[in-house]
Amino acid sequence: MRILLDKFSKSFGSTRIIEDMDLEVGSGEMLALLGPSGCGKSTTLFAVCGIHRPTSGRILFGDRDVTHLPSQERNVGVVFQSYALYPHMTVEENIGFPLMVKRVAAADIKKQVADIAALVHIGDLLGRRPAQLSGGQQQRVALARALIRRPDVLLLDEPLANLDAKLRLDMRSEIRRLQKETGITAILVTHDQVEAMSMCDRIAIMKSGEIVQIATPSDMYKDPRTSFVASFLGNPPISFLKGRAQQGAFVLGENGLRLPLAALSGIADGTALSLGVRPEHFGTAGGVPVEGRVVFAETQGRENLYDVVLPDGSVLRSIQPVRDDVKPGDSVRWNLDSASTFVFAADGQRL
Amino acid sequence: MIAPAAIMIFLFFLMPVVLTAIFAMTNMSTATGISGGAWQVTQGAINRLKADMPDLAGGIAEPRFVIDEEGLAALEALKIKAGFSIELRTSHMGEVFPSRREAERMIKALKDRPSTREVKQISDLFNRSVLNTRFENRDGLMASLNKLGFTLTPAEQETVAAATYTGWVWTTENFKIIGNSPDMAQIFLNTAFYVSVTLLLFNVSYALFLAITTHYMPASTASIFRAIWLLPRITPVVIYVLMWKWLTWDSGFISMFMGQFGYPVKNYLLDSAYNAWFFVILINGFIGASMGMLVFSSAIKAIPQTQFHASEVDGASRWQQVRHVILPQLRWPILFVTCYQTLSLLASFNEILLSTRGGPGRATEVWSLAAYHTALNNYTGNLEYGLGAAMALVLVVVGIVLSLIYLRIFRYDTLISKPLIED
Repeated sequence: MRILLDKFSKSFGSTRIIEDMDLEVGSGEMLALLGPSGCGKSTTLFAVCGIHRPTSGRILFGDRDVTHLPSQERNVGVVFQSYALYPHMTVEENIGFPLMVKRVAAADIKKQVADIAALVHIGDLLGRRPAQLSGGQQQRVALARALIRRPDVLLLDEPLANLDAKLRLDMRSEIRRLQKETGITAILVTHDQVEAMSMCDRIAIMKSGEIVQIATPSDMYKDPRTSFVASFLGNPPISFLKGRAQQGAFVLGENGLRLPLAALSGIADGTALSLGVRPEHFGTAGGVPVEGRVVFAETQGRENLYDVVLPDGSVLRSIQPVRDDVKPGDSVRWNLDSASTFVFAADGQRL
Repeated sequence: MIAPAAIMIFLFFLMPVVLTAIFAMTNMSTATGISGGAWQVTQGAINRLKADMPDLAGGIAEPRFVIDEEGLAALEALKIKAGFSIELRTSHMGEVFPSRREAERMIKALKDRPSTREVKQISDLFNRSVLNTRFENRDGLMASLNKLGFTLTPAEQETVAAATYTGWVWTTENFKIIGNSPDMAQIFLNTAFYVSVTLLLFNVSYALFLAITTHYMPASTASIFRAIWLLPRITPVVIYVLMWKWLTWDSGFISMFMGQFGYPVKNYLLDSAYNAWFFVILINGFIGASMGMLVFSSAIKAIPQTQFHASEVDGASRWQQVRHVILPQLRWPILFVTCYQTLSLLASFNEILLSTRGGPGRATEVWSLAAYHTALNNYTGNLEYGLGAAMALVLVVVGIVLSLIYLRIFRYDTLISKPLIED
């Protein structure tokens, strides 16, 4: 079911969190709300599930206006960061709770709980209480509880934040599998770009209560609209060089690096610019040689990560296949793939 | 570091209980005193003896006259005619007369013809009655009785000694009194009624109602409500009860207000047992509710906010939220409040003492108040420490038994069981 936020605004007292946000999530789509903490992503999620009421604007599920409906009447499933399982109930009672409050017959509840528990692979834990479960098992119970009454919308609030690294990897694919199998429309709130990129059809990056860009993960990575988006996606992160425009080229410092870039035609000389270079675009391949000194080297097993200081003091990050001929302190002359760089104006907008 | 705690427990908890138990096994009262006693043939003692030894009781109740060396010496000291003492010694030594009349008849017949005044004077010297004489020890009493011609077997001596002893003795009589007296049964029922109704209606239910309703209020409104319900607890109890009295006295608010509609002036607090109970339970309930309210409120606050959010999106109504999310998680606080308030309701009687004094009649007399009245403050003035202590001891035992039952009902063991987390 499609979710539409139309000029949605939310303030707490005099603090405005979100103003005039428009957002559409297609039916069966999984969308990530990605941003740093305090950007308003959880507020948006809570408004969609009805825990918070919008200050103004509308929220539509399909064509149904749910703006003023209480949570109970919205038919949404939510997985909270802390899972919010009821500690005094068994797993079975926890999962069956949404049906129990709807006064579904006990036998029906039992059957449906068994089905959904099998789907999330916790069929053998139904008699336990949450305190007797591991984090990953609790997570699955929370998912099952959110899914059991076949909600129109599934909302996930940082569902993986409390899990250890290995489990996080498993649950990432698990949640995506469930979402695809059930064909449910889902919104995932996260501050982890890897989660957003690996699990979702599209990503909406938020900053200070505004959506900066919505795109598919690969489009967003390849074509970030602002320096904020570029810096948020990618691991290890992008590095920036501060420079100026000069005759259609990016110039770093006095007599420093000079990169002719197509995006810079028509830009006045002397305009302050920021050049974003992803680590994989600085290294062995590429057309522009850049000289510098290695100050930091780290091996990540399959790849090595280097920080290279340029003569003017700015730092470029490089990721390369493992090699052991470069050590910190060495001077290097590596190539930069200028076609894959991004130029941003001083206000962060991509040129 | 166990020693200081152990000393404190011993001094302030164990000692009072042990002392209460010790007092409970005695018949101490104002009449017996708390130190030792003496042996005295009082009218009361004679009444007690009448059942077992009617002859003896009748005998020692009468005055007795014995012609003995002691009396003769006193007679000689009086320095009236010497012939009296000489004749008494030679002819009547050792004679016992069961009454004054018989003794005086003999004296009158003496050869020296004593005057009527002298007869009286002489007979007084030979009066050996034990009635109302204090003996500092048991043997003194027995020797006197023997001298008077009562020869008693050791068993009889024991009975006489027990009947005439004025001090306290060890006894289990107090518990028989508590077990058999219809008054005690009535007080027990009063207590059960008072404790259970106040506890259920106010200390738990009303406190839960306040905690849950204030939980759903905006924070500022909720704190105003809680502050108001704390007032009965904060107000000094004397003033708090006085305010209830102003409300219910014959010149108080209710009486004045009802007077407007032509009802006669009356004391609404004490005019009937029904009204007295009504107000006693309100007075105590309003105080008791505040504690439950605070405990339950903080317990509800301790439930993570996301559980409320989760239950809302799961479709639970307010009532279902209360029923399925809040109440099950308040099991331990409810147990605590029930237990604590049962004990405090059983033990405290100050509100009742200040408001109805157990009246009208003894309609609102509860166990602890009755113990207080028995042992420390009663109208007749004979304070029965032993019986009062026995009543207090019964209260301690009832409290412990109830606590154990509560722990069983609320399945305390499952509340403290360890979770078994794997992985």
